Amino acid sequence: MVAKYVMLADTTRCINCKACEVACRAEWDTPMGFTRDWVKEVEYVNAKGLPEVQLFPGRCQHCDDPPCVEACPSGASWKREDGIVLVDHETCSGCELCVPACPYEARWLNPVTNTISKCTFCQPRIDKGLEPACVQTCVGHALIFGDANDPNSVVSQLLKEKEWQRLVTDEVNIGPNHYYFTDGKAIPQEVMPKRNEHYLAGTVIEKVLNPVAKLGLGGMVAVFALAGVKKLVDRRKQVGIQEGNHEQH
Amino acid sequence: MPLQSKDSTRNSRRAFLKSLAGSAALSTVAFIPDAQARLTHVPHSTETLKDYEEHWGFCDMCYWRCGLKVRSRDGKAFKIDGNPEHPLNRGVVCGKGNAGIQVAFAENRLKQPLERVGARGENKWRPMPWDEALDKVAQELTKVKDKYGSQALVMIGHGTWEKPYHRLAHAFGTPNTTSPVFGLCCGPRGVGSMLVTGRELSGNETIDLENCKYFLMMGRNVTESLHNGETLGWIDGVANGAKVVYVDPRYTITASKAHEWLAIRPLTDHAFLLAMIHVVIKERLYDQAFVAEYVSGLDELAARVEKYTPAWQESITSIPAEAVTRIAREMAKAAPSVMVYSPRRLTRSTNDLGTSMSMAILNALFGVWDRKGGIFKPQTITIPEIDLPPFPHAHVNRAEQHGDFDFSTTSFALDAEGKVQRADGAGVMGRWPLANAQYGLTNQMWLAMANQQPYPLKALLTAGGNGFHNSTNYDTIRQALMNMDFYVAADVIPNEMNSYADILLPEASYLERYDDLQIGGAREGFVALREAAMKPLHNTKGSWEICKELSKRLGLEAYFPHDTIEALLDDRLKKAGYSLAELKEKGIIKKSADDKANFPREFGLKSEFPTPSGKIELIPSTLKNLGADHALDWQEQARPTQQNQFHFTFGRIGFHTHARTQDNLWLHDFLSENVLWIHPEAAKALGIAHEDWVEVKDQKGRGGKIKAKVTPRIRPDTVFTVHGFGHWDERMNLAKDKGLSDSLLASDTIEQYIGTISMGTSIVTVSKA
Repeated sequence: MVAKYVMLADTTRCINCKACEVACRAEWDTPMGFTRDWVKEVEYVNAKGLPEVQLFPGRCQHCDDPPCVEACPSGASWKREDGIVLVDHETCSGCELCVPACPYEARWLNPVTNTISKCTFCQPRIDKGLEPACVQTCVGHALIFGDANDPNSVVSQLLKEKEWQRLVTDEVNIGPNHYYFTDGKAIPQEVMPKRNEHYLAGTVIEKVLNPVAKLGLGGMVAVFALAGVKKLVDRRKQVGIQEGNHEQH
Repeated sequence: MPLQSKDSTRNSRRAFLKSLAGSAALSTVAFIPDAQARLTHVPHSTETLKDYEEHWGFCDMCYWRCGLKVRSRDGKAFKIDGNPEHPLNRGVVCGKGNAGIQVAFAENRLKQPLERVGARGENKWRPMPWDEALDKVAQELTKVKDKYGSQALVMIGHGTWEKPYHRLAHAFGTPNTTSPVFGLCCGPRGVGSMLVTGRELSGNETIDLENCKYFLMMGRNVTESLHNGETLGWIDGVANGAKVVYVDPRYTITASKAHEWLAIRPLTDHAFLLAMIHVVIKERLYDQAFVAEYVSGLDELAARVEKYTPAWQESITSIPAEAVTRIAREMAKAAPSVMVYSPRRLTRSTNDLGTSMSMAILNALFGVWDRKGGIFKPQTITIPEIDLPPFPHAHVNRAEQHGDFDFSTTSFALDAEGKVQRADGAGVMGRWPLANAQYGLTNQMWLAMANQQPYPLKALLTAGGNGFHNSTNYDTIRQALMNMDFYVAADVIPNEMNSYADILLPEASYLERYDDLQIGGAREGFVALREAAMKPLHNTKGSWEICKELSKRLGLEAYFPHDTIEALLDDRLKKAGYSLAELKEKGIIKKSADDKANFPREFGLKSEFPTPSGKIELIPSTLKNLGADHALDWQEQARPTQQNQFHFTFGRIGFHTHARTQDNLWLHDFLSENVLWIHPEAAKALGIAHEDWVEVKDQKGRGGKIKAKVTPRIRPDTVFTVHGFGHWDERMNLAKDKGLSDSLLASDTIEQYIGTISMGTSIVTVSKA
């Protein structure tokens, strides 16, 4: 049977030590100012009036129905049979249409390669039988990776044993393959995915651009012209996201 | 939870897409997105993992020393992985450990020997060849020796590679070598345990974390002041069902994993612990069989803690009396699989010894020694030292068995043989006899240098470290450095302290060199290897090579008899029946964990407590002999008296180490400057809003500006900031002028029994800037 790769994050075991982020940066030589994975620290006061902190390690959720793949005009973004969402760097034009399509903000334009970068579940490593770099180094063993189609895998066992949640909302429910254990705590809103306001949503592409595209080259020009404007808007937004991720604790 | 749940919206959208894909007109328009079509029909190129080599190591980013497997490609180290065989980290590496790559590749690291040409601290340097630099160091040290005697040399080390410098200094003839680990950090913790039980937790926390059922965390922020193996073991223990009570003025990430957070008043842990002892004795909650066989002094202790009731402590600690009684009972139920967990750094109040002894006493009363879920007896591998000529001072043979944290040897640097005693008074009768003479009192050594007492100290050799930030009085450090006739610093990175050096020797980073063996004891005993993962990137040398070269010039080559450090390692290993070639196979040689050896009392075997009486001494005889047993008693501590005054606290965050990673590119990215935590009520009263700039000043008027983090995660009478910021050295291009230095605000009072520093007694005023 074909594998179905999933990532589990046991947030009760995460300590926000940033091992995952630095390991990823070292493994894939990520340029400064960008990251393929992150840990969000959310602090709030609970119903009893006491402070609480929750930690959410995150990355591309390798969704079953990835809008980034749908949004990609060149065919560079694709989903492998085992569920991993990848970018073919030989084909990627760096147009960035996929960037706002992702409600998890997992994609960005790599200024060095001028192609889109994102978490690949360390596809080159797992193809060699290694664990993803973030999982291998995770101090609390909070990240667990494996094949959910293999009933004997650790992830299959854990998925059965515990109540896992996914980062889905009424608005964004695209089959993420990243699971979170919070020991019953509700996941705070700020961690939840949001439909990007600048996103030329799949529906727009389907209902507007695709029919236009049928008309021929004019449509293609329109798509790329829009992409150019968006690039500027989203670049600015991206900077905002980066800064937001680096808030002080 | 079902994996394949798909809502109807998505199904309908997919159906819509499919219908589009199916239309004939579409197939000619390549860019139209369709995930399904692309998944199965379009060939894509995928990345493949490039080849690499692996080299063994142990980490230098903090002092826990995790085992490493460093990956190199094209002759350059690029990724640090954990050695899965190493018991101190079981294959994981934290963010700091992963960022070690940036120590080696930092643009601003020290790249060639330098001679100071401007004023001290001015950072004007002249590059010089190695031979010239080493000749000059030997000449200047000899000059000081001829004029003042060899004891005028002070050597301060703070790194996993400091050992050859200690040896060189000892051979040179000075007793004055010191490491901050004792006087500025863990000293009181080890001394308290040694006095009561004759044993301690070694540097590697010999706690059976996975099987422990109750953690009473006395300010031990184990997830942020993290040591991978310890942190992982603790997380496993919590996952296995251990209850966690977290006692700290601040709600840390560790607090977020606890069942209960007790926001204790700073400096009052001792009062809380005394009341715990009171309840445990009063209600006979202690392990009676264990106490009968192994413990002395219970009646005397009972009389002494009679007045320390839970109600009494409430007025001091602000922890409800009820909580103390309940926790004592809960722990007794779970005993011996319980732990009163000491903070790592216990240099806080003016009576850290009392605090430390109280924790040792409670653990003893719960009978945790040599039991599952309690404290285990580590396995050890004995690797003899190389054959060396005798040293002029007897106490300098550093403990090799438990890493750098073995406080078990209490050999005093007495003057019986007419030898000069340590200038810092560590282990010296009439001064600080309880302080460990091997590690010394770094805080007292700085004072001795600043005051030139009790005798002239005129030359300084430092191996890593940064006195300005790891001690708490800039004036003392600056005066001490200015008093030196000659100061030579060896380091990898620039910092404020080494900017005062006359000669600056650039060290190879820990990824570019061999070092002496790492020998440690956990459930498994082990000896581990650090080998070079790449050739030095710059004109640098490892500490052994530097010291070997200096020894030749000082006529001390007999102390560095090997031609290469590899030969030294092989020599040491062969004395124990191993070899360097064998160690290179897995980077580590281990003696397996053994339940019988680790937990002898689970098997009807006896525990051993090497105190003077051979028993656990609840009222330590050593203290009685020194007339210092009142250290057991509660002593009042500083308290803020006005609305704008606060206890000043500082601590660690998971992705910075001490004051030396703020300039690390990959870690700076996560936190470039520290902020001041202040409670919303306190902030409101002072008109301070979140992210406002505030002014913080201590009682001497020292301080500066910092941004406020208004958060309920701290007591209203306490402020906190992350340690290690506020650098001013212009060579630290990322960290310079970022944040406020806690070292400027923390106190430099003295623990009255051991002589270690007390950093927590500072009361600061806060106002809107």
